[in-house]
Amino acid sequence: MKAFEYSSPTTPEDALKDLAGPGTVEALSGGTDLIGRMKDYVASPDRVVYLKDVKALAGIAEKSGGLEIGAGTRLVDLSADPIVRKRLPALHQATVEVGTPQIRNMATVGGNLLQRPRCWYFRNGHGLLGTKDGKSLVREGDNRYHAIFLTEGDALFINPSSLAVPLIALNAQATVVGPGGERTIPVEKLYQVPKSSDDRELTLAPGELLTKVTIPAGEVKNGFFEARQKQSHDWPLVAAAVGLKMNGDTVGDGRVVLYGVAPIPWRSEAAEKAIRGKALTRETAEAAAAAAVEGAKPLSMNGYKVALVKTTVKRALLDAAGDRYWEEA
Amino acid sequence: MASWPESPRLIGTSIPRLDGLAKASGRAKYPSDIRPEGLLFGVLLSSPHASAKVKAIDLEPAKTMPGVKAVLALATAGESTIFYQGQEIAAVAAETEEKARDAARAIRVEYEILPHVATERQSAAEGAPKVFPTGNTRAARAQTTGKPDEAMQKADAVIEATYELPVITHVCLEPHGLTAHWKGPDSITVYASTQSVMGVANDMVENLGLESANVTVLTDVMGGGFGSKFNADTWGIAAAKLAKEAGRPVRMFLDRAQEHQLGGNRPSAKAKIKLGAAKDGKLVAMVAETSGTGGRGGSNFPLPYVYKVDDRSRAHTEIFVNGGSARAMRAPGHPQGCAVMEAAMDDLAAKLGINPLAFRLANLAEADMVAGGVNRTDLYKEQVERGAKLIGWDRWKPRGQNGDGPIKRGLGLALHQWGGGGAQDKQVACIINPDGSVELRSATQDIGTGARTILAVIAAEVLGLEVGQIKSNIGNSTFPPGQSSGGSTTTPSMAPPCLDAVEKARDELFKRIAPGLDAKPEDLSLKGGKLLVKGEEKATWAQACRKLGMMPVTATGVFGPGLASTGVGGCQFAEVTVDVETGVVRVKKIVAVQDSGLILDMLTWKSQVYGGVIGGLNYGLFEERIMDEGTGAMLNPDMEMYKLAGATDIPEIVVDAYDTPEMRVRGVIGVGEPPTISTAAAIGNAVANAIGVRVPKWPMSPMNVLDALAAAEGKA
Ligand SMILES: Cc1cc2nc3c(=O)[nH]c(=O)nc-3n(C[C@H](O)[C@H](O)[C@H](O)COP(=O)(O)OP(=O)(O)OC[C@H]3O[C@@H](n4cnc5c(N)ncnc54)[C@H](O)[C@@H]3O)c2cc1C
Repeated sequence: MKAFEYSSPTTPEDALKDLAGPGTVEALSGGTDLIGRMKDYVASPDRVVYLKDVKALAGIAEKSGGLEIGAGTRLVDLSADPIVRKRLPALHQATVEVGTPQIRNMATVGGNLLQRPRCWYFRNGHGLLGTKDGKSLVREGDNRYHAIFLTEGDALFINPSSLAVPLIALNAQATVVGPGGERTIPVEKLYQVPKSSDDRELTLAPGELLTKVTIPAGEVKNGFFEARQKQSHDWPLVAAAVGLKMNGDTVGDGRVVLYGVAPIPWRSEAAEKAIRGKALTRETAEAAAAAAVEGAKPLSMNGYKVALVKTTVKRALLDAAGDRYWEEA
Repeated sequence: MASWPESPRLIGTSIPRLDGLAKASGRAKYPSDIRPEGLLFGVLLSSPHASAKVKAIDLEPAKTMPGVKAVLALATAGESTIFYQGQEIAAVAAETEEKARDAARAIRVEYEILPHVATERQSAAEGAPKVFPTGNTRAARAQTTGKPDEAMQKADAVIEATYELPVITHVCLEPHGLTAHWKGPDSITVYASTQSVMGVANDMVENLGLESANVTVLTDVMGGGFGSKFNADTWGIAAAKLAKEAGRPVRMFLDRAQEHQLGGNRPSAKAKIKLGAAKDGKLVAMVAETSGTGGRGGSNFPLPYVYKVDDRSRAHTEIFVNGGSARAMRAPGHPQGCAVMEAAMDDLAAKLGINPLAFRLANLAEADMVAGGVNRTDLYKEQVERGAKLIGWDRWKPRGQNGDGPIKRGLGLALHQWGGGGAQDKQVACIINPDGSVELRSATQDIGTGARTILAVIAAEVLGLEVGQIKSNIGNSTFPPGQSSGGSTTTPSMAPPCLDAVEKARDELFKRIAPGLDAKPEDLSLKGGKLLVKGEEKATWAQACRKLGMMPVTATGVFGPGLASTGVGGCQFAEVTVDVETGVVRVKKIVAVQDSGLILDMLTWKSQVYGGVIGGLNYGLFEERIMDEGTGAMLNPDMEMYKLAGATDIPEIVVDAYDTPEMRVRGVIGVGEPPTISTAAAIGNAVANAIGVRVPKWPMSPMNVLDALAAAEGKA
């Protein structure tokens, strides 16, 4: 990796100063994503700002506005949190299934949300869009792990964050501070679909810091299901999270969010529409699953993900309903 | 003439490996852990391109980088052709690994990039760029026995299907490499991660113009080779040259990406098989067209493998690609041949509506004779019966009847065979010292098979000592010539000369101390750490050895007849669940039944079988070298997207040693290769049994399973 300048601030204010530059700057949290990218020369920052000594960034607290999760909270601590475990099983489940215990011991919520795509063309030095001589290597090449939605565009990678999916389903808000002050945006708005190879898939401006995410108070039935080849040390192929505001026995307002299918965490509006006003039955889940694949345009190798979208949407909904029909007796 | 003891005290029992604790606790020093004083770190610069000509190499920028002590070009400007990504270009030695990496990157290489073919598909395409001037394929003439086409006409049931297995790599946990340490201008000591200390020594002699007497290669322990680590390799020779130039030792190990790209691989296999049988379940004909790629090397595999088909034809085509060259990998060819043949057998049994277990037994040769007058068919019959019991084959149900919910359960089996005999020209020295210490010496090495422990077990058995009392010194090329660890030959090659050496040393000891005890040598015996004269305890082992005075006993043992044999069978059963809504396969249980003659240490023997099964499970479920047609690069040269089982992916594994009196009298046979052969085949068959559909492509990934289900639905 390229030699770099290192700083280790202890307050958010100092962190912001250090993040301002000069040169290219990267924040370093758990390092499980950034260090690998630096070793592979995918990222070669002039300066690295270590965030784990900024104690104010870590911790989980219940406030009047909801549950606040500091960006520096380690995944292992998030997965052990009793409130999360009890009230937010979708988030709990997504967290415990990330990577391996070693990764969860190091990785943080902020780093997880802001990690860069794992697309092997990006990681092998062909840029975010994976192009060579103006042609898409992804479209022509091995795209088994790539997107099936928005594939008319040039961004064919998938967003890599497992946590983004339940957080968006739970309508979580992200707090971002920067030179211009603080702003709060929905977690969804941390992401964008890049239009060109100079664009980023993250909306955070250089020098900005994610400080926390807040899950609004109020009861939301939630569920999660991920399909993954290996039991550990692996990524989901496709995952779905649902957050449902119930009106008695029927779904009032529901969110259905998918991992592994688009360059952004993918909200399936069709599935959300299919469950509105419905009771959480297998029939509803099947209908939502069928709706969720509308508009999918798989690439040459990843047609199998269509089946996985159906399954994960169906199972995430039924997980929320407590009907885990797929579990072995 | 030496013979194995009839009622052994230690042989065949479960004895923990001598270096087990050191390995498990991290205290064992692997070759890549060795840090001699003044060590420099070597880094290999490899080609980013899959096909190119090297136009120019400028080493100067690297030479002037901080901490750089030596730089060496490995490719020749204007001459060298690059055939695959990762191929060697240059090497650097510097004070730290980081500095060496920076320096390697600073080397300026000018390439003329040529078009490439990265996959079999790309290679076989019309007008594809050529890997060899003669072309990208080499088709062997079909080998025909009998009249397969005619015979096929008479079959009552015929299946025709194409099965495929990808290229996989060895993924040695410790990458290929060595540390070179010059002891003088013409003398070198090398710490190598190798399965052949003699092979590495020989390469050093030949490439560096040294005398054999001045080359020492040491491999105390090592982190896996699986057939890919018999030589010093270009980077190992480069380490020695850099060390010479810098005047300091140099450590040079591949990084993980290079390990995948140029450390070797198992060739892919594709087989279009037409297989026919009569109603009574007898095979009548096979027609097979097969192909595979070993990079620029061969990819052949055995067919119809363990089964008997009199009328058959087979045509194999080599496909060449711009990918790293194949190297021997645990049972070369067999896992591929086993997987495709066993899949075809299973599909045909399903078509005939016959229990696949009975179908297999009905199609073995009547007499499949291996060494020692053993009919392997008889072995298979008993082994399959034992395996069936252990897996619970009575629960087997035909395809399509294995669960109402999304989780289907399935059972599968497969048979395999291997040689596993030893070489007859190896030696072991045994030294009994006056202080009572016992040392064995040989230029073989322990690649995890337990060679070190096994030799000590033999010595302890003969001398009436405990295993821990024997110093088993192997992994040193200056010792008496030992076997390279490949092809399951190490134990059958080394155990006989070890027995001979220890018996000779014991007899010499008796001869020398008998007079002082007023006894004849033949009156002496050893038991429980004591010396006995005419059956009566006379001295402790230490006291007995002290009688040697200043002169140790030394003896060199050689191979003797009747102590080792060759030719084994085995079978494996798999139980899996498949979630048909996600395509995720979970292996629940593997049963491995294996014969291998006389088993010397049941614990290290079983450990080989466990390791073989786990390797086979990875082949069955996870592994695949993924090449990119656009860039010619390997897309997953890591241990993340190149998938391997973690602890939680490992099922219950039941190892059943087929260890009968008839097997023991055969003598020692190796077990490194056989238990890895049939696992992927058994898993594939269990998946087909579970979901009612053949998944024609390994690994059994969600993608391949869901694609097979979708294809079947499309057809239905
Ligand atoms: C084998 C393997 C399997 C994995 N499986 C999964 C999985 O299943 N699901 C999943 O989601 N992930 C998975 N991961 C990825 C892992 O979860 C991420 O690497 C990790 O969450 C990143 O967190 P970190 O704190 O280590 O981030 P870092 O590497 O420290 O940082 C990542 C990025 O975020 C930026 N950043 C970090 N914190 C902030 C902040 N507060 N403000 C602004 N920018 C910030 C950094 O600058 C950097 O660009 C896997 C990784 C591996 C190696």
